[in-house]
Amino acid sequence: MRAVATLLMVAAAVLAQATIVNRLPFDWGPGPDLVLAAVVAVALTTSPAAAAGCGFAAGLAMDVMPPAEHPMGRYALVLCVAAYLVALLRANTGLGGSGARVSRWAALGVVAGVSVGVGLGYAFIGLVMGDGHVTLAAVAANVGIGTLLTTLVAPLVTLPVLGVRSLLTEDDFATIQGPTSVGGW
Amino acid sequence: MLRDSSRSRLLLAVLVAAALVLLVVDARPGSDPVTSAARAGGELVFAPTAAAVGAASGPFTRVYDGLSQGPEAADRIAELEETNAELESELQAARIDDQRADELDALLHLSGLGGYEVVPAQAVTRTTARGYAHTATLDAGTASGIEPNMTVVNGEGLVGRVIEAGPRTATVKLATDVNSSVGARLEQTRKIGAITGGSVPGGPEADMTLELFDMEAPIDQGDRVVTLGSHEGAPFVPGVPIGTVDEVQVAPGALSRIARITPAVDFAALDVVGVVVEGPGTDPRDSVLPPKPDPEGDQ
Repeated sequence: MRAVATLLMVAAAVLAQATIVNRLPFDWGPGPDLVLAAVVAVALTTSPAAAAGCGFAAGLAMDVMPPAEHPMGRYALVLCVAAYLVALLRANTGLGGSGARVSRWAALGVVAGVSVGVGLGYAFIGLVMGDGHVTLAAVAANVGIGTLLTTLVAPLVTLPVLGVRSLLTEDDFATIQGPTSVGGW
Repeated sequence: MLRDSSRSRLLLAVLVAAALVLLVVDARPGSDPVTSAARAGGELVFAPTAAAVGAASGPFTRVYDGLSQGPEAADRIAELEETNAELESELQAARIDDQRADELDALLHLSGLGGYEVVPAQAVTRTTARGYAHTATLDAGTASGIEPNMTVVNGEGLVGRVIEAGPRTATVKLATDVNSSVGARLEQTRKIGAITGGSVPGGPEADMTLELFDMEAPIDQGDRVVTLGSHEGAPFVPGVPIGTVDEVQVAPGALSRIARITPAVDFAALDVVGVVVEGPGTDPRDSVLPPKPDPEGDQ
């Protein structure tokens, strides 16, 4: 039930990003990243392995969606690693609030941090692959604006996804299991 | 040290390896069956959703127009848009023909060429998730005869070229993209150069920059720039307006003259565009050469 709801929400985020957000004419470059906001919410409430899978799937979905302007796998790689790290830090250091519940402000902070990290990681892959778009000025502007917009929309994406996932969670299991696996799919 | 199970780490390694393999496979030139199939699957979901969003966003766009321009103006705009939509493809074909007649003929002394065949399409995305590339997605693809390396225009001028085409969508690299380079010709003096999206090193901050190869060529603010045209019209057909010269930079010791170009197309308001699927009947660049001795080439 929880896995199905998560799948639907992440798929909805991918479709909304590809068809609605990318349709808006942003003069300044990047728009908000709904997929990242949704994946962070999932990563904060699941095991590292499941988070990595979720990040990979969501990133790959964005890669195959038009426009085909970057090579496939670029966003999947970045989002997979980012989701894994979020879940790993959550399990080991209590990132995003201690205990089973994720604090709202901490979740928004994690979205902002992940947005910066994903922006830099995406730019780094471009740099390695010789993408002519990646210049210092472009990276600074895109990461800055992208992080700001993503954090602004995060209350509309991350918090609902967190809410649905904590609503559908099996509380008994969440308390019995060790700190390395907070909940499951 | 961060603790994690080895199984979880193995999964991460597998996923990262899969992503890297995809990256390498897809970054190679030419199309790959796996990535093509994946993209076709993606657009299978994308195309109907984008069409639905387009239909659903119509009222919002009208409300926005109404708020920003007054109710009478919105009615008038709706009326005009309706007429416009019907005639859009015809109009664009006519504009291209006019362009050919007015500018191409005047510049290259060509005559008797066939018209361009234009497929109308709508731009359904304008930004990319991470904001680096200037690309647009069109809601028409190979099913409508669109192939990579075709010129994309709208009523105002050059939009860009098709870089990827699936059955129902096509990706256009806009002329303002940093990686875009278009052969250009000054309308009046016929001097040739290249237009690059964005700024060039040492040039002014701009949407497009013209590098003129002739240092002596007269160039002034307000001069119009058109496409030079490529061999057999791919990726760019000749004579399409690109923009007007905004500011000429005179750099001592430079090997080319650099000018800031104001694009002819309003890229922020990109909507209906046309893809030139068929160029003139004869190759315009070869037509300016003396006729070949072999009669079976041209009529």
